[in-house]
Amino acid sequence: MSHVNWISATIGLLTAGLIFYLVRRDHLHTRYALWWVPVAMVMAILGVFPQIADWIGRTLGISYPPVIPLLLGLVAMVVKILVMDIERSRNEVKLTRLVQRVAILEKRLEDRLSKGGKTD
Amino acid sequence: MFHSVLILIPAHNEAGSVSAVIREVIHRTGCRVVVIDDASTDNTAIIAREAGAMVLTLAVQLGAWGALQAGMRFALQQGYRFVITMDADGQHEARDLTRLFAPVYNGLSDVSIGACTSRGSKMRKIAWVFLKWISGLGMEDITSGFRAYNTAAVQLLAGRDATLLEYQDIGVLAHLKRNALAITEIQVEMCSRTSGRSRVYSSWLMVAYYMVQASILGFSKRGRK
Repeated sequence: MSHVNWISATIGLLTAGLIFYLVRRDHLHTRYALWWVPVAMVMAILGVFPQIADWIGRTLGISYPPVIPLLLGLVAMVVKILVMDIERSRNEVKLTRLVQRVAILEKRLEDRLSKGGKTD
Repeated sequence: MFHSVLILIPAHNEAGSVSAVIREVIHRTGCRVVVIDDASTDNTAIIAREAGAMVLTLAVQLGAWGALQAGMRFALQQGYRFVITMDADGQHEARDLTRLFAPVYNGLSDVSIGACTSRGSKMRKIAWVFLKWISGLGMEDITSGFRAYNTAAVQLLAGRDATLLEYQDIGVLAHLKRNALAITEIQVEMCSRTSGRSRVYSSWLMVAYYMVQASILGFSKRGRK
């Protein structure tokens, strides 16, 4: 194997290993593992067999195959980040409505505790 | 007239001006007032209570719209049929409340906006022209927080879909329009703020941030549903 192959193999396998370790130790929620495990596997495979990128390049008529993993990686990141922001927006809605609800409940509690005084 | 109305005043660190606003409102209309204390670090809540208002205290700062929505949810729960929103900084005049509320009270409109197009700097006016164009809203004063809402409007604005409408202006107005609610404007005078400066127009960065957000919101919510 050439010099480049050792590096890409190491990176690919290490990343894959890290992701599996994180899932095993419950540092990464299984739901997100659904994304990261395939990513890890693709990285490992492309790392050990970079010839696959060459093959894809030949089949699709792309003149510079090394750009393929880069492109795939970028597209994956854009999708991932967009999905993350969508999820963050959902969380923000939940949090906002929760804070509102707590404020209303606290008021009702206050009023009830001071029954006999003004309840408005 | 104000029997089934709840007045909502969102307030973040407005201890200096909120008391006068509350007292004036109660004096003129006898209306119930709720101050939504948006995680203030001063004693806004205490002062508001002393002035005769009910207070909802938010544990986390949600911004003006989050605070107002809390007030709207409270109003619905408590059975109020109408809501009038006002600023805590003394810009809105209690004496305009009757005129503001009349169209909504009489069923002529779902929402009534207290418009004052002569206020604000040159920059604000240019911003308005642009935002009105990009959102297709047919109103004059799109940033006025002085508004009256009927039950249909309050129910819509208290809902989940209305939660992330940052800033109560363009987003809220566009949302109302898309749901075919009638909006009318009443000309009012607005005093200059008795304390504090405009938060939105406080610096170029804030203005830019606001303009981009408002433009995106306004543009994306164009048209009837």
